Amino acid sequence: MKAKLRRMTNSKLFTLTLLLIVIIVIFEILSKGKLLSFKNIRSILQSVSVVTFLAIGCGMLLMSGNTDLSLGGVGTLGPMVLAFCIAAGLPWYVALIIALISCALCGLGNALMVNYLNFPTFIATIAMASISQGIAYLISGGKNIDMKDPTLNFIGTKRLFDFIPYTFIIAMVALVIYAIILRKTKFGRSILLVGGNAEASRLAGLKPKKISFILFVNASCMACLAGSLMCARVKTATTAGLSGSQFTGITAAILGGISFGGGTGGMMGALVGIFILNVFNNAMQLVGLSSYYQTVMSGVLLLVALIYDKIMENNRMHRAITAK
Amino acid sequence: MAHSLEFKNIGKLYPGVKALDDISFRTEGGKVLALMGENGAGKSTLLKILAGDIKQSEGIYLLDGKEQDFKNPHEAILAGVSVIYQERQMIPALSVAENIYAGFLPKKGGGIDRKTLYANAQKIIDKFGLHMDAHTKVARLSVAYQQMVEIMKAYSRNPTVICFDEPTASLSDAEISALFRIISELKEEGKIILYVSHRMAEIFQVADSIVVLKDGKYVTSMDVADASEEKLIRAMVGRDIGDTYANLKRNDKYGDVVLEVKNLNNAKVHDVSLTIRRGEVVGLAGLVGAGRTELVRAIFAADKVTSGEIILDGQPVHFKSPHDAIKAGIALCPEDRKEQGLVLFRSIRENTTMPVLSELKKGAFLDKKKEKEIAQEAIEKYDIRTDTMEKLTTQLSGGNQQKVILGRWTNSLMKTKLLILDEPTKGIDVGTKAEIYQMVCDIASQGIGVIFISSETPEVIGVADTIYVMHNGRITGQLKREEATEEKILALAMD
Ligand SMILES: Nc1ncnc2c1ncn2[C@@H]1O[C@H](COP(=O)(O)OP(=O)(O)OP(=O)(O)O)[C@@H](O)[C@H]1O
Ligand SMILES: [Mg+2]
Repeated sequence: MKAKLRRMTNSKLFTLTLLLIVIIVIFEILSKGKLLSFKNIRSILQSVSVVTFLAIGCGMLLMSGNTDLSLGGVGTLGPMVLAFCIAAGLPWYVALIIALISCALCGLGNALMVNYLNFPTFIATIAMASISQGIAYLISGGKNIDMKDPTLNFIGTKRLFDFIPYTFIIAMVALVIYAIILRKTKFGRSILLVGGNAEASRLAGLKPKKISFILFVNASCMACLAGSLMCARVKTATTAGLSGSQFTGITAAILGGISFGGGTGGMMGALVGIFILNVFNNAMQLVGLSSYYQTVMSGVLLLVALIYDKIMENNRMHRAITAK
Repeated sequence: MAHSLEFKNIGKLYPGVKALDDISFRTEGGKVLALMGENGAGKSTLLKILAGDIKQSEGIYLLDGKEQDFKNPHEAILAGVSVIYQERQMIPALSVAENIYAGFLPKKGGGIDRKTLYANAQKIIDKFGLHMDAHTKVARLSVAYQQMVEIMKAYSRNPTVICFDEPTASLSDAEISALFRIISELKEEGKIILYVSHRMAEIFQVADSIVVLKDGKYVTSMDVADASEEKLIRAMVGRDIGDTYANLKRNDKYGDVVLEVKNLNNAKVHDVSLTIRRGEVVGLAGLVGAGRTELVRAIFAADKVTSGEIILDGQPVHFKSPHDAIKAGIALCPEDRKEQGLVLFRSIRENTTMPVLSELKKGAFLDKKKEKEIAQEAIEKYDIRTDTMEKLTTQLSGGNQQKVILGRWTNSLMKTKLLILDEPTKGIDVGTKAEIYQMVCDIASQGIGVIFISSETPEVIGVADTIYVMHNGRITGQLKREEATEEKILALAMD
């Protein structure tokens, strides 16, 4: 029991939750109670959903020891295909399937470049970022495409009890499903083992390449969903789409305690990371800082997350917590 | 005046374990003090404290009568303490010379004085009598030579205190004798030497006195002159273990041929043929680098095969990956526990069940209860010293890490026909070694074929029924246990 308690307080998740609470308290005071107002909580929940999908996709990859910088581009391409197909008169679900398939192909491309051509992940996925962004431009002719579909717009804009956005509910369901996969299934376990030591895992009968393929495709599909949800809310697929937001996904995942080196982390941590990021951004707005500051602060937050990760890593290297 | 080193009431607390408890002893320059004890006794922990790598929870240590408190390894090195760790800490992409002088590169102007660097490094290499070029990248060296670079690195700092943590675990005889020659020179020069090893013979060869630890506590100390193997084992293990090899209950009923290898070839293995019957223990002897690891990796499909046949249970097989080999009933317990064995930042439980995750499925999910049973079984079978199966394997002592890997490959869910053990007793203490030998025999009695690789020739002779000797990727001879002697094997190994 005592050991369990100690393990809990030493865990990243504990530290992170504490950090989230501290941020909330500080900004609640600074914003004179505006942060936790009904309307503001609602808008935080709204913004959380997009990041959640990105963080799931990217987080799973990070845990397996990989990363993906193409998610912004892919997340722009997906909704563009979706809006294009709907404009062409296809029903929304057919359009969504086509969008998912086109994004899955991008993921497949990433996986092929990394696993068979042995390109460094960064380079391969940055290339894919431009390719997918470029195709999005080509499809739309460089313009935004309106997306007026009653079902999608309903999901994108309406809320349960006028409080909880449906997009948020969908995102949380997805997060829980992934958390269960990660903690309870063979596949989830394999992700963490391969992330921890790919060669040892291969020698123990696991299949690192197969896992990498599945996770690259999964990440691209998640980016597609993230982009589509946003597009459903604003009722247009924009050429800017999710460009650049791959970093938001990575920041949330790393803030959530998923280590850059792979092999550790979990979805609950990611959730806390997502909230830290979104509460922080929202709070900056509330206290009246311009969006330029927000951009700077996002970068700073990512740095802080990385430094924290590095320190934890060093600590782990140095045989865990030195006793006092 | 002679140098002196003294530990006073050293304690070290980790969450859940007292790794060291009230350790006090003293040693002097010009002497080799051996630290002995079972896996997890606290030997490495004590050396890490002295090296400034971790901080003790209690007690002090004095060098030349002066209390020291190193905040980090750099301080310790500057004060004349060098430790060669159990786990190699090389930078593989750098040259031998750069590794030897890492952190202490000779400077000229603003840059590195490359000429001096390589000249000095080569001088040390020659002093050790090794055939090695200071410019070679460490990644390209054999494990044995990498270990020697580690030793030369410590030596180059001209330390007052030099500590060896199981230095010979991955060395072959040639390097070991070079090492012992250097140690006796260091002794002449009046250095303080601490030496950790599980190999008894070595202790009697190099040590002057012995300190025995058990479960973090000081047990006893003695001069080598007064020590005997039995006495030491009793102090370490707390009981007698008798004549290990003579007491083995062996299997003598062989079944059909389980594995036949015909003319196997790849980059490192040349024209190898051998057969193993069910219930037979086949030993592979040879010098480090003879191609034994490469041979079994080829059988296990961890490396590519260019030509030749592998026949399992009468059927030719063509595995694409270790996954296929495991499915077909082959298990390979690898030699390098850090690179190829463990997932260091996952728990003991998760490490033991890696190859049998499919067997642990209950519906879509993993059966946690059954998984815990498998992990518990490994912990008990090999006496893994830990407070919980949730401990990360990186927090285990070297020997206990090795036991986790053994536990993984011999767990009761594996449907093994052929078990391959590559240096299974590396870093394992005497008591457990005897248990592992018996376990190998028991496994054979169940009708499983076993390939047993070891660089300690007596061990191969003691355990294996049939011994193949390898040299340069070829099999140079085959002996029955009754006819095998160390001399015969050595002759074949040198070919
Ligand atoms: N970072 C850590 N966290 C928790 N426990 C640890 C940590 N590092 C070491 N230990 C524990 O301290 C004890 C002593 O370990 P140590 O490595 O000193 O053993 P050792 O005598 O060197 O054994 P071996 O012969 O196997 O190398 C072990 O029980 C080990 O599990
Ligand atoms: Mg040790």
